[in-house]
Amino acid sequence: MKLRLAILKTKNLIGASVAAMALVFAAGLFAQSVPKGQAAAPAGPTASDTPSGPLSHDLSGVWMQYPDGDVPGVPGMNAVSNRTRPPLTPWGQAKFDAAKPLVGPRAIPGVENNPELRCYPDGPPKLLNLPNPFEIVQIPGRVLMFFELGHTWREIWTDGRPLPKNPDPSYLGYSVGHWEGDTFVVDTIGFNDKLWDDSFGNPRSDQTHLIERYRRLNHDTLELQITIDDPKAYTKPWVSPPKLHKLEPGWEIAEWFCVMDEDNAYDNAVRKPAGVAPAHK
Amino acid sequence: MLMTMPSENLRASRPRINSAAALFSARVIAPAAALAVIVFAGTLSAQTAPDSSTKNAKSTTDAAAAANAPLSHDLSGVWMQYPDKRVDGAPIVTGIDESARPPLTPWGQARFDAAIPFMGPRAVAGKENNPSLRCEPEAVPKSLILPNPFEIVQIPGRVLMFFEEFHLWRPIWTDGRPLPKDPDPSYLGYSVGKWEDDTFVVDTIGFNDRPWVDSYGNPRSEEMHLTERYRRLNHDTLELQIIMDDPKAYKGAWVNAPRLYKLEPGWELGEFFCVMDEENDYSNRVRKPAGGAPATTNP
Repeated sequence: MKLRLAILKTKNLIGASVAAMALVFAAGLFAQSVPKGQAAAPAGPTASDTPSGPLSHDLSGVWMQYPDGDVPGVPGMNAVSNRTRPPLTPWGQAKFDAAKPLVGPRAIPGVENNPELRCYPDGPPKLLNLPNPFEIVQIPGRVLMFFELGHTWREIWTDGRPLPKNPDPSYLGYSVGHWEGDTFVVDTIGFNDKLWDDSFGNPRSDQTHLIERYRRLNHDTLELQITIDDPKAYTKPWVSPPKLHKLEPGWEIAEWFCVMDEDNAYDNAVRKPAGVAPAHK
Repeated sequence: MLMTMPSENLRASRPRINSAAALFSARVIAPAAALAVIVFAGTLSAQTAPDSSTKNAKSTTDAAAAANAPLSHDLSGVWMQYPDKRVDGAPIVTGIDESARPPLTPWGQARFDAAIPFMGPRAVAGKENNPSLRCEPEAVPKSLILPNPFEIVQIPGRVLMFFEEFHLWRPIWTDGRPLPKDPDPSYLGYSVGKWEDDTFVVDTIGFNDRPWVDSYGNPRSEEMHLTERYRRLNHDTLELQIIMDDPKAYKGAWVNAPRLYKLEPGWELGEFFCVMDEENDYSNRVRKPAGGAPATTNP
């Protein structure tokens, strides 16, 4: 339900803002055309994918994940891939069994208990997994990410600080990032265990160490590879294959908050008539 | 209800510690100060503010502001509003001053009467219906008057604002675009900003009518035109004046006196989400035993 809404919202945006955004992006592109040879693009098996060497340390822009059909009937949501999930630990299995997803093979109308149905904020990695756009902004010392879903933002510290020793558990965790060649590597710890890793009820524990590897293959294409190391929930690291995102220069992130009152109204207007469970009881 | 501090303070601190928002933020400082100094050192040296006589920020003169002219177009940093006791029993939330409010229209009066705040003279314990109790986004202008820090980041074409309360962010477009003709109503509205000499002027329209403009139940209609005027008086001091022109709710523009904010270079915004399940848990543990209303009333 929400997926459809999200896509509609995004489409609405395009028309309204293309002209205005052209200005901003024109400036951005101009600034990026630095002389060749400044960025040390390391040779490697994938070097042929990176003709735009000078762009490789610039991830800024609005990026969108598009459907590629990993899960039948569920477009897009496979940056965290169910297919590569390792076996669950007993703790993980118990959480998984208690999770009643809204979508996928385990969906049962009427008993769904996705955290987002109660307007819990979505956090990584699931935020990165949904067919909604995100924007990346790079400023000194930080990379900022803005997500249309839930109007959430996160900061990734790039000032060289280490990960904290004992962070308070949080929805978004605590993130630091650094460049390894042409890849921006983000390490995040300090999660709480209130969210799922994906839309299918796979759990996220407070021991999760999330690793995101971003690589701009060319001007229009961002590759993201997600690794979830969560020994409390999974018997070994969960390594998902890389997922591609497309630059959408004409887009701006819209305001989309999750509000319980509106969700209840949506229940009455859509979910209940459709035979689907309300957002909360 | 305790009236010694705004309830927002209690709510802000609740996810982490049992203290005021200022302490909540202070707690962020400790682990991060050493690291943050790396970031801010660059900023400070670049800004080289000689004026250190900012202890009494209110005595700042225009001459002092002129002496810091190079700072005037840089608003970046974490800013915090501190108590000034202008409203009895409710420190701090005076960036919007109820004593300056114009008369309400009939529509505005009806909305105001239906609003039952959990603080201030019209508070009725057990009947509070602040939108924030249902975790609706606070949004502007109310986000600007809460005793929680916000951060300003300037990038080409935009000024970004981040609010600790509810983990909100808003873009203010500075690329010269006009306000949209017929924007969809939203919590944060649609904002454009421009510099008028040393003042950054933000115009916002396109609001929905769900949030209140303050903690006392004063309404916001979708016809509101919000104007924010930011001026950096010196390195450590940001002045903000809030003007609300909302002809559907008020007979005349609501012009508030400027309010001062202090730069907090060692601070980083914490994660503070409003989550209904946690609100309900908090109601059971704190609000109900204290005689307050629970966060939700089932529709």
